[in-house]
Amino acid sequence: MKTTPLSRRTFLRGAVGGTAVALALPTLEAMLGARGAEAASTGPIFGVFFWGGGLPWHDGHGAPQAGHPDLWTPSTTGKEYTPSELLTPLAPFQPSVVTGLTPHTEVPDLPPGQSDGHMRGFMVAMTGDRIRPEGFDHPSHTLTALRPTLDQHVAKHSAFYGPEVPRFRSLVLGASNARFHDYGHWNAISYNGPDDLNPPIMNPGQLYDLLFGVAADTAGLKRRALLLDAVMEDAKSLSARVGAADKQRIEAHLDHLNQVKNRLDFSGEACAPPGKPAPSEDLITKTDIMASLLASALACNMTRVFSFMLSSPATTHVFSNLGVPNDFHATVHEGAWEHTRAGILYQMQAFAAFLARLQAVVEPTGGTLLDRALVFGLSEYGEGYQHSVAEMPCVLAGGANGKIRRNVHVRDPGGNWSKAHVTMLRGIGLETPSFGWNGGQTSEAFGDILV
Amino acid sequence: MLGFSAAIAVFGASVTACVGVIGDADDGTGEAESLVLAAPALPRLTAEQYRNTLFDLFGPSMPKAPLEDDTKPFLFYNIGASSTTLSEFGVQQYEESADAITRYAFADPARRAALVGCEPAAPGDACVEGFLRRFGRRVLRRPLTSDELGRWVTVSQTLADPSAWEGLRLAVSGLLQSPFFLYRVEVGVADEASPGRRKLTGYEMATRLAFLLWNQAPDDALLDAAEKGELDEPEGVAVAAERLLDDPKARAAMQTFFRQYLDLGRIDGIQRDPAAYPYFTPTIADAMRREVELLVDDVVFESRGDARSIFSTRKTFVNADLAALYGVDAPGATPSTFVPVELPADGPRAGLLTLGAFLTMNAHETRTSPTARGKYVRERVLCLEVPAPPPGVDTTLDPPMGDPKTVREQMEAHRNNPACAACHQFMDPPGFLFEHFDSSGYYRTVFEGDLPIDSSGDLDGKPLANARELAAVLETEPRVGRCMVQQLYRHAQGRVETKGERLALEDLASRFESASFDFRTLLIELVTHDAFRHIGEEESP
Repeated sequence: MKTTPLSRRTFLRGAVGGTAVALALPTLEAMLGARGAEAASTGPIFGVFFWGGGLPWHDGHGAPQAGHPDLWTPSTTGKEYTPSELLTPLAPFQPSVVTGLTPHTEVPDLPPGQSDGHMRGFMVAMTGDRIRPEGFDHPSHTLTALRPTLDQHVAKHSAFYGPEVPRFRSLVLGASNARFHDYGHWNAISYNGPDDLNPPIMNPGQLYDLLFGVAADTAGLKRRALLLDAVMEDAKSLSARVGAADKQRIEAHLDHLNQVKNRLDFSGEACAPPGKPAPSEDLITKTDIMASLLASALACNMTRVFSFMLSSPATTHVFSNLGVPNDFHATVHEGAWEHTRAGILYQMQAFAAFLARLQAVVEPTGGTLLDRALVFGLSEYGEGYQHSVAEMPCVLAGGANGKIRRNVHVRDPGGNWSKAHVTMLRGIGLETPSFGWNGGQTSEAFGDILV
Repeated sequence: MLGFSAAIAVFGASVTACVGVIGDADDGTGEAESLVLAAPALPRLTAEQYRNTLFDLFGPSMPKAPLEDDTKPFLFYNIGASSTTLSEFGVQQYEESADAITRYAFADPARRAALVGCEPAAPGDACVEGFLRRFGRRVLRRPLTSDELGRWVTVSQTLADPSAWEGLRLAVSGLLQSPFFLYRVEVGVADEASPGRRKLTGYEMATRLAFLLWNQAPDDALLDAAEKGELDEPEGVAVAAERLLDDPKARAAMQTFFRQYLDLGRIDGIQRDPAAYPYFTPTIADAMRREVELLVDDVVFESRGDARSIFSTRKTFVNADLAALYGVDAPGATPSTFVPVELPADGPRAGLLTLGAFLTMNAHETRTSPTARGKYVRERVLCLEVPAPPPGVDTTLDPPMGDPKTVREQMEAHRNNPACAACHQFMDPPGFLFEHFDSSGYYRTVFEGDLPIDSSGDLDGKPLANARELAAVLETEPRVGRCMVQQLYRHAQGRVETKGERLALEDLASRFESASFDFRTLLIELVTHDAFRHIGEEESP
């Protein structure tokens, strides 16, 4: 049961107005109230699982290095399809998959380079739109999104949380630190909008502290929260003094301060924490650790939205454990198909380890976290040898509270990527008449998957 | 945002000719040229600037909590800092950092006494107010307004639990989270002499000077100079800049600039198979970056030579790893000690483009990349723009299978295919000049299998035999100096230059030339220039 605290802003505004009196502690505490423990939730969970490097190429991608088998597309369609070699690690979780999808967005001629799969495929799969053409700089690898990525679209959708926003609107996580370029946009898959990205938390210790690190001095936490009111007064005063574009940045900063303040209020009453994890640089072990912390956070309703970047777009992760000598971006570029197959299979095993953590948590309702969740698995293109955006991978794991049919393979050659978006968004209960922009819009969903 | 919109014209212009000069777009309107400045960019402090600034205030042993990674579109962190929005977690990290630093500063009675200089007798008393006024000026880089001082004194009173010290700690924590600290705000004052632009205030100039020349906020002396009006005219700005440039902080700041301009961040994390590249030790990548920093420091501050000579000088600085890679005698060099050496006059190396950093970061793990090396020469050294391959072009070379082929032979496809040749004829020929240097920067006389190495190529149609001959060309190449001016301008402004600033760039380039390309003189010319001391009118919302 929550108590309704007095408006803290009123409190501090009054103080700033010159009527301040030093308040005795009990009065202060009474005004602050106490935020209740996170309320139990049975609402759907939405997550993104991203891996870099696409799939091993085959003739369906249109790559000139012909003759390689398609290890991804299941040989049968419909319910209870036969899993392919690369989907076999995921089989215990009965994911639905759609194959054949490709971007339908138009690509402006200028500036050139926007058709590149690293950019076009990634941006369509994550946002349903193209990259922002203005300021696109291929040589310096500068690009940005036009709109929020799917995780943030859901996290900020007014109908998803309604009035009960949990401690985190979303958690943005990742595993591999390898980066293709020393530039932020290649090291984060989650955008709020143009030039506004959410860098993932990569360090299990840092994630643990964020979720479960509780300062012993809870009164101190409340003072820190109160202090942010004064900081917000400064931000508002600055916001009034800058131009339109910068005003947006400052308003975002202000909004974030408000979120952080709410978070400080929550921090005293965290859920029963799991053990503090030991670090690991093995990608599957690290994925398992991050997923176990995430599962704990989901189980006590700290959030219902997440994204997980196993490896970044154009990842330069070196799979030396698999005998792959070069970084993965160079490996696929140089046409080393066997090495590519090994690297993708390994990433599917990491995906399986991730889903296993969600399946392992049985909730009071009797279902698992994975039954409640919809986890969208994707990469930035179909394959990396030619950066082909044909035959892009699309995995829909989990049941979304029964709204998504599991274990179904839909084959839709040349199909519009955004049909998958419409399917998923409707699956988690968000009214979505259509999705996609700049030629990619559609109102169609996959009826065989959406209940 | 402005930087990006300015760049569109550049790309639009460059594609027709394949190579255009960055920032030199000509839209053909032929309008009369005058200096038209862009609106201010509102950069957020980079993580390095944040830490440098707080080290000065709290000492280098203060806690270093993690901050959000900076981004560097168009090469520069300052450009990322003025275009990228901070994430929610980034704001939380600022909160945690400020809390940790102030706990450190105030937990120890001796440390807090040294910081504050008096003992508060009661929350918000004269000691507290005096400190917040003095300290607040350093944090916000200007005097606090009476409203602001009132706000923070009030915070120190209302949150004074259990003591006045805790209230003061929280007020300081709040100042460190204030957007007026975290962002560099420029408003300026109306300048009657120049309609359409605003003149920066003394405090804003102090901030610009300190962040450019020290990569951190101004010290008390610089703020005092601002208060006295000494930064209102170019002469006073020059005096202040000379003082800053005499300080070791300026050396570190210039290394930071050159590291970005030369794109040295790409050397981080480079790996080579030790079996194939025995000289590529685990620590050599760091040494390669350090070598360039020492070279830059020598040219800019020690010898004050022609700044362009970084691309042609036979002087360099090596540790033991680099001495082995280059095969030079370097008495006194150890894995951690760098010594100056003169590369042999008849050797293959001269200038930055023959040193480990450039050669390694512009190569693949297992083979060289003449395209990447040539592209670097075009883009980083000459500031020419090479656009992306046109849509639908097969950008993949045949995999190295079957008969042994040199990289040059593989890249013949670039010349034979007209779609590729249009651009690759600009990139590959200068890149071939480095073929004697393998992926680790080691000098080789034959390829694997005793195939002879052909390092011939050209720059703009001028035939050259090897990298040494390119260095000789770059020694007097005018575009090298212009490129440095342009990159320094972007770094200093935190955005890509606009068309209206072309005059300023040309002006600075000619002053640079008149000063025999002395980089320190260029810095003084820049900070005293109208374009650095003014901002454009804010665009209407």
